[in-house]
Amino acid sequence: MNEKILAQEWLDRPERGSPKLLRFGIWLALRIGRRAARLFLYPVCLYFLVFSPAAICWSREYLTRVLGRGAKSADIFRHFLTFAGCLLDRVYLLNEQCEQFDIVVHGEEALLQVEAEGGGCVLFGAHFGSFEVPRALGRARQRQISLLMYEENAKKIRAALSAINPLLATEVIGLGRADSLILVAERLAAGHFIGVLADRNFDSRDMVRCEFLGKAAAFPRGPFRVAMLLQRPVILMAGIYRGGNRYEVFFERLAMPPERKGSEAWLDAAMRTYVSRLEHYCREAPYNWFNFYDFWA
Amino acid sequence: MTTENAMLSPPEAELAGIIVETLNLEIPASEIDPEMALYGEGLGLDSIDMLEISLVVSQRYGVKLQADDESNADIFRSLRSLNQYIQTRRVG
Repeated sequence: MNEKILAQEWLDRPERGSPKLLRFGIWLALRIGRRAARLFLYPVCLYFLVFSPAAICWSREYLTRVLGRGAKSADIFRHFLTFAGCLLDRVYLLNEQCEQFDIVVHGEEALLQVEAEGGGCVLFGAHFGSFEVPRALGRARQRQISLLMYEENAKKIRAALSAINPLLATEVIGLGRADSLILVAERLAAGHFIGVLADRNFDSRDMVRCEFLGKAAAFPRGPFRVAMLLQRPVILMAGIYRGGNRYEVFFERLAMPPERKGSEAWLDAAMRTYVSRLEHYCREAPYNWFNFYDFWA
Repeated sequence: MTTENAMLSPPEAELAGIIVETLNLEIPASEIDPEMALYGEGLGLDSIDMLEISLVVSQRYGVKLQADDESNADIFRSLRSLNQYIQTRRVG
């Protein structure tokens, strides 16, 4: 049962996930520990390699682009396995088991600079690697970090979180309400960091096509508009899985909005910088990309 | 809806003008139906537009729209309800 629950989550099809089963999966993962739980990942990924043609198709398209050669089944299996592993590790990270992991951080001075300037900032992540690793690090450093995500997903995540670590449920801000970003503004003013996965739609039709791995893909302008409206720097965040129990976290200050409001040119430049850095990290750690759908649609 | 309800009162017209100007909306302020939903359906604003509105309202009226206000769904329901909220809270 356990692997099936996790598998459903991986495919990002919330309608198939049952909160009860998810809670059981989490309970089991905590009970048997990371090493034993990881053994389940192999049959699950194999299952998907056989029964999930859509995920395979999109994995293959991405891998072919990023690797610059035809992707083999072994590559796709490794892609699924990386995703599954990061998902499983979230359970332990949320359970405050950071000591299980070997985490190296680069560019933390970008965050220290934001803190020195006063207020927080939006951390621009993607469905790439693990957001949970930088978040766990932030907690260990007494930073307040919230994650902005769709309310429907947020509800599910909150339900699952409450099973692991109830204190963290408030760290998820649901998008899709009129006042979602007013809450973000309040938290930024109070010095919080707000994680945004800036590679997918952001409560708006405001998408811009940017060249990504050799073909134009749509990215949301929303997160960049928020940074501009609130005059906060754009900081990129990536938590890359390196195999074994190793993660590497990168922070990069990409841009600071001009004081003059409504600068389209700045928005455009900031987005392109973000997309090109994301591309850089994808080439460097290709299996960390977790968008298993037609990204270039 | 009666014609009377669809008419903007002077403070509503002022707020409508500010919103149209801030968000560069294509619809003229005078044509905004005061009972029309602001967010999502109706005027079709997104949460970033609502953030912009909250910033400009705080700047022009000195009224802070707060995220933890339980009546937010009512306040943001329409131009009319937003204006009512602002008029009861505005300073000076």
